[in-house]
Amino acid sequence: MKIRYILSILTAKFAIIACRLFRRGGTSLPGKLALKIYPNVLRETAKNFRIIMVTGTNGKTTTTKMIGQILKDNNIGYITNKSGANLVSGIVTTFIENVNYRGDSGVSTALLEIDEAAFNAVTNHISPDILVVTNFFRDQLDRYGELYTTVENVASGIRKSPNAKLVLNADDSLCASLGKNAGNEVIYYGFDPGACKGVADSGSSDANFCIYCKTRYEYDSYIYGHLGWFRCPTCGYARPESNVACTEVEELSATGSAIRLRLAKPSCIKSDTDNTEQFSPCDEISAENVLSAEKSGLMNTECNGLSSEKGGIHAQNKNEIYSVKISLPGLYNIYNALAAVGCSRALDTDMDTALASLSKVESGFGRMETIDAGGKTVKVILIKNPAGFNQVINYLLTEKKNFVAAFIINDRIADGTDVSWLWDVDFEKMQPIFPLMDSVYVSGTRAGDMAVRLKYCGMDTDKIEIERNYGRLIDKALADTPEGHTLYLLPTYTAMLDIRKHLKNKFRLRDFWK
Amino acid sequence: MYELNICHLYPDLLNLYGDRGNVIALKKRAEWRNIKVSIDAVTIGDAYDSEKYDITVLGGGQTYEQKIISPDLLSEKASEIKSAIEGNKVFLCICGGFQMLGRYYRTREGEEIEFLGALDLWTVEGETRIIGNILFECDILAAEGYDSKIVGFENHQGRTYLGPDVKPLGRILTGGGNNGEDGLEGAVYKNVFCSYAHGSLLPKNPALADLLLSRALKQKYGDFAGLPRLDDTFENMARESMISRLLK
Repeated sequence: MKIRYILSILTAKFAIIACRLFRRGGTSLPGKLALKIYPNVLRETAKNFRIIMVTGTNGKTTTTKMIGQILKDNNIGYITNKSGANLVSGIVTTFIENVNYRGDSGVSTALLEIDEAAFNAVTNHISPDILVVTNFFRDQLDRYGELYTTVENVASGIRKSPNAKLVLNADDSLCASLGKNAGNEVIYYGFDPGACKGVADSGSSDANFCIYCKTRYEYDSYIYGHLGWFRCPTCGYARPESNVACTEVEELSATGSAIRLRLAKPSCIKSDTDNTEQFSPCDEISAENVLSAEKSGLMNTECNGLSSEKGGIHAQNKNEIYSVKISLPGLYNIYNALAAVGCSRALDTDMDTALASLSKVESGFGRMETIDAGGKTVKVILIKNPAGFNQVINYLLTEKKNFVAAFIINDRIADGTDVSWLWDVDFEKMQPIFPLMDSVYVSGTRAGDMAVRLKYCGMDTDKIEIERNYGRLIDKALADTPEGHTLYLLPTYTAMLDIRKHLKNKFRLRDFWK
Repeated sequence: MYELNICHLYPDLLNLYGDRGNVIALKKRAEWRNIKVSIDAVTIGDAYDSEKYDITVLGGGQTYEQKIISPDLLSEKASEIKSAIEGNKVFLCICGGFQMLGRYYRTREGEEIEFLGALDLWTVEGETRIIGNILFECDILAAEGYDSKIVGFENHQGRTYLGPDVKPLGRILTGGGNNGEDGLEGAVYKNVFCSYAHGSLLPKNPALADLLLSRALKQKYGDFAGLPRLDDTFENMARESMISRLLK
C-alpha cells in the first residue's frame, strides 16, 4: 500500500519533469497516472493541508489569485493550481508537485480553483475547510448540461463536506441557495441596494424563476445578469443578509475600482438553516469605525482598537466600514474581491492586511493581462460565456480613447463546441463606442460566426476584418493601434493559449505554468 | 412600407443557446430592406393574439423552464396558437419549442407529458443526448432557388417522430436530427418551420431567414413580389466554413 503511494508520487513527478522538458504545460497527465497507480493518492497527499477551494462559473481564477495575495501578505505559505488545472487530475498534480516522495510538504495550506462540474468528484477525495463559490451562469451547455444540474452537483459536494465554512454570493439566487439548508457555517457577500449607480443590465437572465417553487422573482435592485436583491413572492426565499457588503461603488475605472465595504460583526455570521429566521440587524454603523484600509497600513495594530492580535477584530461589537481599492477593473472584480474578503473572514486573518492585498493583486493568466508593447498597450481578456462577455463589454464601455479590438473565437472542447451563445451576448450595447473602435478583427475557428454576430449588432461591416493567422493578426492590429492607445485581444480559452504563445515570443512573457 | 409583427414567445424562459439570434436575424434582414418590424415579448400571463402576429418564434429551454411554461401554454395560449397555425401564420420553433408543438413527450420512466398537439409529431426521451454540429439538405429552399444546405448545432435528449401530415424540414447529411434513426431533421406544416438546430440557425442560414420573411409578407400583402438580395458575404463564409468542415 505505502509502496504504491510512493510509486504513484514518483511516477507523477517524473511525468511532470518530462512534460516540462517537452515544453508542454503537463498539468493533468501526471495526476492521471498517479490516480491509476494509487486511487487514494489525493486523499493521502492532501491530508495534512488546510484546504481552501474556489468554484463557480465566472471569477474563479481571479478570486483564487486575490486569496493567494491575502495569504502571501499574511505570510501564510500555500500551494495552488496556478494555471487553471482545475479538474481532479490537475488537483492531484498540484499536490504531488509540492510534496516530497513521502508525501510531506513544507507548507500546510492549499488554495485550489475547482471546476464547478468537477467539484462533486473532487469531494469524493478531499473536502474543503473553506469553500468559496463565485456565481452560477450558463456556460458551455454542450459540456456542463443544464445550469441547475451544475448547481445540484456543487450542493452534492457540499453535503459531503459538512465541516466546510461556506463563502457564498448572496446576490446570486442559485449560489445563495447552497447555504439555505446546509448545516455549514456561511459567510455571505454581496452589494447593498443602491451600491452601484446607473449600471443596469437588461441582458437575458439565467435565473428568473425561484429555484424552489418556480415563481418569478421580484427584484429590489439589479447588479448584472440575475445578480441582485431577489425575493420570491410565493415561498419567501430571498437574498440573505450579507456579512461582507459593498455599500457604495465610489469609482469604476479602466484600471480598478474604489468601494466602501461593510463587514458585519461576527455574531451575524451564522448558518441560515432555518429560512423563517431573519437576521437581526447588526449594530449601527459607528463613525469611529470608518477607516481606510489604505491609510491604515498593512499591519495596523492601533486603529480604533482593531488589534490584529488574536480575536482583535472579532472583539469589535460594531459593523466595520472600510474604503477599499481594488486593482482590477469591472463590477465582476468587485464581486471577486468581496469573495476574497469573505474567505479572509473565514480564515480569521487580519482584515487590514486582506484589504490592502486587494489593491496589489495582478490579473490572472489571460484575465485582463496587460502587456507593454512599446508605447502601446495590449490587454488580453479571456472570453468564456455570455455573462462574462457582457461584463467585458461593460468594461470596454469605460474606454475613452480610440482602440482596436480582436475577437478570437474557437470551438474546441475546452472552449465549448457550440458557439451559439454568442447570440446571448449584448453586443448591441457596444453601439455607443463603435466610433472609438478604429478597426475590429475577428479570428479563430469560428471567425465567421463572430463576424456575423458583429454585423447583426449593427457594426459597419467595412470595419470588420477576418484574419485567421495569429502572427499577422497581432502585427496588423498593433499597427492599427495609435501610440498610447490599447489593443484588446478577446480570445476564448484555447485561442488564448495559442495567442499567448505568439505574445510570449514577441514580448518575452513568462510560461503559464510558472 | 411593409410592416411585420414578430412575437417572441416566452423569451425569458425559452432563451437557451442564443435562440434570440433568430429574432435578431429576422428583424435585421427585414429592416435592411426597409420593412418595419415590431417585436413583442409574450410570456406567462400575457395574451397571445393569433391575428396580430405575422411571425412567431419559439425557442428551446431547459427541462426546468419547460415545466414552468407548460400550464400557461396548454391552458392559456393553446387555441390561439392553433388557430394562428391553421391560418397560415409563420412560425419558427426550435428544439424544446419544436417538441412542445407536438402531441406529447414520453420520459424514460414512461410518463407522458401532454403538449400542445398543434402538429402531428411526438417525442420520446432518449438514453443519451444528441450533441454536435449538424448539416442537412432542405428541399423547400432548393425549390425556391436557394442553396439547399442548412448548418447548425443540435443538443437534445428527445427523439422526435413525425406523423403523416407533417413533412421534415430536411434530410440529414451529418448529425443526429430528429431521432438519430430516420435521417430526418425538423418539421414543416403549413408555414410552421421546426428544427433541432438552435441558436444561430437563421443568421447563418440567411436563405431560410428570407424564406420565412417572404412567406410572412406574401401572407400579409397581396402585392408582395419578393425580397431584394442582400450582401451575405459574412453569413456565407461562416456557413461554408462549417459545411466544408463537416463534409471533409
